[in-house]
Amino acid sequence: MSGLPPLVEVFLYGLVTALATGLGALPFAFVRKVSPRLLAHANAVASGLMLGASFGLLSEGADYGRLATLVGANAGVLFVLLAGRALGDREVEFGRVRGDDARRMVLIVLVMTVHSVAEGVAIGTAFAGGATLAVVITAAIAVHNVPEGLAITAVLRPRGTGLVACAGWSVFSSLPQPLLAVPAFLFVDTFRAALPYGLGFAAGAMVFMVLVELLPEAFEEGSRSTAALLVTVTTVAMVLFQQYL
Amino acid sequence: MEPVLFVLTLATVAALSAPLGVLPLWRRTAVPATWIGWANALAAGLMLGTAYVIAEAALHERPGKLAGGALLGILYIFLTHRASGIEDLDLNRLEGVDPLYGFRMLFVSGLHGATEGLAIGVAMLEGLPFGALVALAMAVHNVPEAAVLGSVLRSCGVGPGRTAGLAIAANVGQILIAVAAFAVVPAVPGLLPWALGFAVGGLTYLAMSELLPEAYERAGPTGIALVTSVATGFVVLARGFVR
Repeated sequence: MSGLPPLVEVFLYGLVTALATGLGALPFAFVRKVSPRLLAHANAVASGLMLGASFGLLSEGADYGRLATLVGANAGVLFVLLAGRALGDREVEFGRVRGDDARRMVLIVLVMTVHSVAEGVAIGTAFAGGATLAVVITAAIAVHNVPEGLAITAVLRPRGTGLVACAGWSVFSSLPQPLLAVPAFLFVDTFRAALPYGLGFAAGAMVFMVLVELLPEAFEEGSRSTAALLVTVTTVAMVLFQQYL
Repeated sequence: MEPVLFVLTLATVAALSAPLGVLPLWRRTAVPATWIGWANALAAGLMLGTAYVIAEAALHERPGKLAGGALLGILYIFLTHRASGIEDLDLNRLEGVDPLYGFRMLFVSGLHGATEGLAIGVAMLEGLPFGALVALAMAVHNVPEAAVLGSVLRSCGVGPGRTAGLAIAANVGQILIAVAAFAVVPAVPGLLPWALGFAVGGLTYLAMSELLPEAYERAGPTGIALVTSVATGFVVLARGFVR
């Protein structure tokens, strides 16, 4: 993509990573029948993916500043707490779904979208450090996004959302990446200072979402040991995936 | 102090902190179910926080070996649960208990202690101050854990003194394993990343398979999620003060 103005280039790279998120819906193309057990297992897998991703965000944030990361994490917890409360107070609908399930669906899209803000800032600041590694960074973040799409699909699909819509919501959740990459690239010093707060916020929001919405349901519908096994093995796989790529 | 004595001392402190959890039960035999839920959540958060800081400290090791160790740690607890028939067993039952149930409870506590001991021992190998932090986190973790064990024992009619004694007994194993891990792991070339991974996987799986499900059963998810995440956050924060 040489020859383009650097700003457009950063935006396009960010867009590519956002589109990659949609690929996460693919594994669910083969799922036909949805049972309460599948819902519980999908919850457990989504939990593992989000916990693994949070590990990466927290350890990266701690390199910039541990206290700032934890302040951000507290804000993330508060955000999910308040969003959950606000959604609980009104009749939420997501497609044809209502009630608790609809709340979880709105929350996962919301949490994953907000968490992409920090990733967009990370892309922008990385590009400002020199575009030589641009392709490598883009490829890495694009690959990281695929399991995030899987996490969203694992929550939406068993509750009746169509596959294409799942892919659409996954891409939507990553749109903050190109949108935030540009200002982060332009005002790199300001954004770099905010990065640990943003990384902490994303991790805190995801961990709290897992603890308050996904795990209780995963334990209720399935056997404990199966749920625990799915969560922990997925977490290990996600951390390994992120450390190698 | 000799490093190995340092490990012995701190692992002992961690094990001996357990009776503190029995103190609120000294004069009563029944506690509200929500207390047990929150105590489990507190224990789970401290365990997850400890797993996080050990994983973070171990990141300079080869990720493949760490992940391999973590999977073995998960599998180890999963299989011991299954073999001993305590998989999916409600571990905090207060009524309708029999001696077999009591033995299973103590066995579970011993299993926890083994994983915690390994965590202390291998963390000490990453640096003594860091190991001391992990030992401290496990000491605090043992308090709500003993409170849960204690409330089951007390409701079965076990006296307060014996309950405190059993709470210690369930944890002494971790002293031995901490010292053994500290002494043996560095003697085997290439074992350290596997042992670090094993501790992280075991701690995480214990929190996920026992502590959190028990917690959700007895108190609402919002309170449980808050207690767990705040406890995790405290361990992560404390790590910042240890070089």
